[in-house]
Amino acid sequence: MKSRQSIEDLIYKSCLVLDDKNFGGYLELCDTAFHYAITAYSPEIRKEMIWLEHDREGMKSLFANLPKHNSDHSPLSRHATVYLVEEQDEGRKAKVTSALQVFKTSLDGGATELFAVAKMIDMVQLTPEGPKLLDRNIRLETRMFGIGYHIPF
Amino acid sequence: MARNSVEWEEKPNFPSTHYVDTGIYTDEKIFREEQEKVFNKVWIIACHESELPNAFDYRTFSHPGGAPLFVVRGEDMKVRTFYNICPHRGNTLLYDPVGNAKRITCIFHAWSFNAKGDCIEISREKQGYQERFSCDKAGLREVKTGIGYGGFVWVNVDDDSCSLSEYVGDAMGLLDEHLSEPMEVFHYHKAVVNTNYKLWHDTNSEFYHDYMHYFNRITGMIQPGYFDRKYTGFPNGHASVGSMAIKYDAYEGSKKRGVGWPGLAPGGWVLIDMFPGMTYNLRTSVLRMDTAIPLGPNKLLIEFRGLGLKSDTPEQRAERVRDHNQIWGPFGRNLHEDLLGVHGQGLAMQERSGSKWVIHGREENMTIHDEGGMRHFYAEWSKLMGRKAHAPYADEAAAVA
Repeated sequence: MKSRQSIEDLIYKSCLVLDDKNFGGYLELCDTAFHYAITAYSPEIRKEMIWLEHDREGMKSLFANLPKHNSDHSPLSRHATVYLVEEQDEGRKAKVTSALQVFKTSLDGGATELFAVAKMIDMVQLTPEGPKLLDRNIRLETRMFGIGYHIPF
Repeated sequence: MARNSVEWEEKPNFPSTHYVDTGIYTDEKIFREEQEKVFNKVWIIACHESELPNAFDYRTFSHPGGAPLFVVRGEDMKVRTFYNICPHRGNTLLYDPVGNAKRITCIFHAWSFNAKGDCIEISREKQGYQERFSCDKAGLREVKTGIGYGGFVWVNVDDDSCSLSEYVGDAMGLLDEHLSEPMEVFHYHKAVVNTNYKLWHDTNSEFYHDYMHYFNRITGMIQPGYFDRKYTGFPNGHASVGSMAIKYDAYEGSKKRGVGWPGLAPGGWVLIDMFPGMTYNLRTSVLRMDTAIPLGPNKLLIEFRGLGLKSDTPEQRAERVRDHNQIWGPFGRNLHEDLLGVHGQGLAMQERSGSKWVIHGREENMTIHDEGGMRHFYAEWSKLMGRKAHAPYADEAAAVA
């Protein structure tokens, strides 16, 4: 696929900008119809769960409100590996399946711990101007996050 | 004015009911006593009945007193609870958190049990035990079980305990009319936090910490009626907090809320703290249930459940999920702040950290920033423990003297 490199760049860039808390930069990578979700399956209650879900505006509000909240400021480091890029909709879109590991590093001392393991399922809109994120589903394997976190993966 | 070491350790100038010694949060010996004198004596929520819809469905539960349990629905649809321990060689019987088992067979030596706790087969019984031992002496240890107050499954490991209804008493009055429709768990997650379970229950028992929550300040604290909410204490250490009208749209980015909850006024919020570590929290369109399971003096496992109505349409359920996640999900605005708060207490309150007192001294006619809810909890705690929360070592010191 001609644009595979640009699609992979989009996925990796989306991780880097969030790591840098460059939320404006993240939103620039998203299509106006962007949809974001964090989902998981609970073996305990035998149900699919949605843990966070927003459209582009919702993500924008979430980011804008962050400074007003009390949060754990330990930085996250998102490590993605693109496994599959599948062309869809006659080449207008691509479904991208990536493995995602999220590491958390303490501010005091810099100890790093594995925070989350997930699959990242993206739908990418392929436009003449370049690929844009249309849909992102962070499909969690990890379901225990201790005190939690305010910034999406 | 800053204080020196002597002044720092001086008893707070409050009545003894209005502060506690932080040793009750950090002392391993006190924690072991709590398991025996508190958790092994009271009714505890193990799960919700909707997690066991069919005959032979089971659900495991780590009882805060220490016993591993499983709850199982029998062929007669009655829910019973047993130690998740094989009476033969002490192995775990059920490994998965949920499942369906008509016959519960230990993987170790294939002893089998039914959903009434009867031993129904000992492999090669006669060859090994002849007439000396048989199934009738090898039943599982049953634990008292009751279902109620919103369809929750309550357990009590004390065979001589009072009944569930005696334990709850009138504490559920504010919620009774809201819990009549069958409910269903749609959200479940666990969190382990390095803090004491009482500090988590305290957070659920006082609203003064709304200063920590931007969401609660903007939608609640600055809205009419906030300071009218009242605490009511009930026997056995339970307490409730009255409702108000939360103005959810005051938070930027909030979506319109239309589903609500049967009988709850729009924007209503009712909270009931059940001693020693369970909280019913009903607001917007969701009932949240916290179950605190202490793992040590400074280590706590919390089970979080979000419940909607069994009759929900997909659209209604989607709105409940959204309402839940905005503030209470693992990525929600409030839960992270609450957990960050008790995590910070856990960091500061450790043996030899120099922490000494926690003050519960606010008196505001039992309205929302009064700390009477916590005082009520510690009165019951002191009674069950035979230790005063403000002077937990007083009797031992007197004995030495």
